[in-house]
Amino acid sequence: MKIFNIVLLLTLGGSAALTGCSTVGVKPWERDILSRTDMRPDGAGLDDAIDEHLYFSKEASSGGRSFGGGGCGCN
Amino acid sequence: MQLKPAPSQLRRRLIAASCALLSTSAARSQETSAPGFVGRVLKDWQFESALAYYHEDGRIQAIEPVVNASHDYGDGGNVSLNFTFDALSGSSPNGALPSHAPQTFASPSAKSFASARHPFTTRPGNLPVDPSYSTARAAGGAEWTLPLTRLSRITLGGKLSIEDDFYSGTVNASFAHDFNDKNTTVTFGINDESDIIQPIGNTPVPLSNYAAFQKEGNKSKNGVGALLGLTQVMTRNWLTQLNVSVDRFSGYLNDPYKIASVLDAGGTTTGYIYENRPDTRTRKSVYFENRVGSEHASVDLSLRYMTDSWGIRSETAQVRTRWWTPDRQHYFEPTVRWYHQGSADFFMPWLPAVDQADTRYISADPRLANFHALTYGLKYGYELGNRLHRSSSEFTVRLEYYQQTLAINNRVPDGLQGLNLYPGLKAVLIQFGWSY
Repeated sequence: MKIFNIVLLLTLGGSAALTGCSTVGVKPWERDILSRTDMRPDGAGLDDAIDEHLYFSKEASSGGRSFGGGGCGCN
Repeated sequence: MQLKPAPSQLRRRLIAASCALLSTSAARSQETSAPGFVGRVLKDWQFESALAYYHEDGRIQAIEPVVNASHDYGDGGNVSLNFTFDALSGSSPNGALPSHAPQTFASPSAKSFASARHPFTTRPGNLPVDPSYSTARAAGGAEWTLPLTRLSRITLGGKLSIEDDFYSGTVNASFAHDFNDKNTTVTFGINDESDIIQPIGNTPVPLSNYAAFQKEGNKSKNGVGALLGLTQVMTRNWLTQLNVSVDRFSGYLNDPYKIASVLDAGGTTTGYIYENRPDTRTRKSVYFENRVGSEHASVDLSLRYMTDSWGIRSETAQVRTRWWTPDRQHYFEPTVRWYHQGSADFFMPWLPAVDQADTRYISADPRLANFHALTYGLKYGYELGNRLHRSSSEFTVRLEYYQQTLAINNRVPDGLQGLNLYPGLKAVLIQFGWSY
């Protein structure tokens, strides 16, 4: 529980800090590698969906990457 | 794409539709006249399809075709549609422990042992599994992303899922805003899930004697969740993401088909009772992911920590790497995933008979036990490029091996000595994928 609260605070604090930060990041013409599917958070598409369904039905945890699990009576 | 026909009519239709789309796409390139409706759809939409086959060692097997279609409006707007079908069959553990004596059970639809259509007897030393397990699921979902300004957008989605004994509906909404030249994105989303559970043979009364066949009507459960995410471009090669999420489920959270063995002091099975879990569950999770890429390779490392009100703690780590050949026609993607969870507060592999009257919650479901799991995977991708006259198109094959090892440290009664009480789980997955 403590870990969760600490990370939540870090996320909120990090969001606030990064929104005004210009020392990290790239210019639009430097996004060639970042635009590839293997570099996008949703790039694994169906692989992640099928794996999430497998893990949801065999383990007590699910989700985290996005809204995960559910829609299945297997757990 | 070598989608093999399966007996299901729905699967045949999905496969036929996928093949029709490909053949039309290829033919389109030969046409000189303006494309028709199908041609316009193929030009404007991106499709992903996959056929997965899952097989557990001595237990269940499943086949799962999936199709996803998405369309970008070019202004940041996007719509996507998803259809999934699962067909499962085989043998499913019912929660009872192995024994030195034969154990007889009835299928869930039975109203008594005498009238059971599919009674089954587990041989001494074997894990009790229902050999007639079979179910199918069809699910469909849609998501619509609508730009609000140049830097913010809202996404609305919904999903429906239907099984023989389970109906589920989910809606979700999220808001995302970009900062810092679109290098920082903050996302906040909420979702709501409503489920109806209609177990085969009706719902067993929690904690009731298995042999009494006490059943009641349908049940329901509801879940709400929220997610706050931060995505940050660090450099030209490095993307990082941090999510925190919380959800809360309430209602009927039992598995209606799971029982627990009741043992006397010597370890002899005296009977079985149906499990009972608390009717609320709150989960919190933290997810941290980093992607680092070069011209011909990338590495994706993700970590997740989850805790819940049932006393379960879990940690997950996954590394996925991708290696392209110099001509970028082929890639290989090895994956390793490690998962560990602690047991739920009310998990008990069996119930001592002397404690039966005082027990409020119990589940012997190994999915709530202390265990760790390892997944090893390898994916091969072949870039079809402009062969199909698409901006991107690829064929993939993916293999995964999953092994779950239980670590239940309860003292084993004398009457169960020498038995493999917690055999764990081994499974393989093979998946053919095609995006175009």
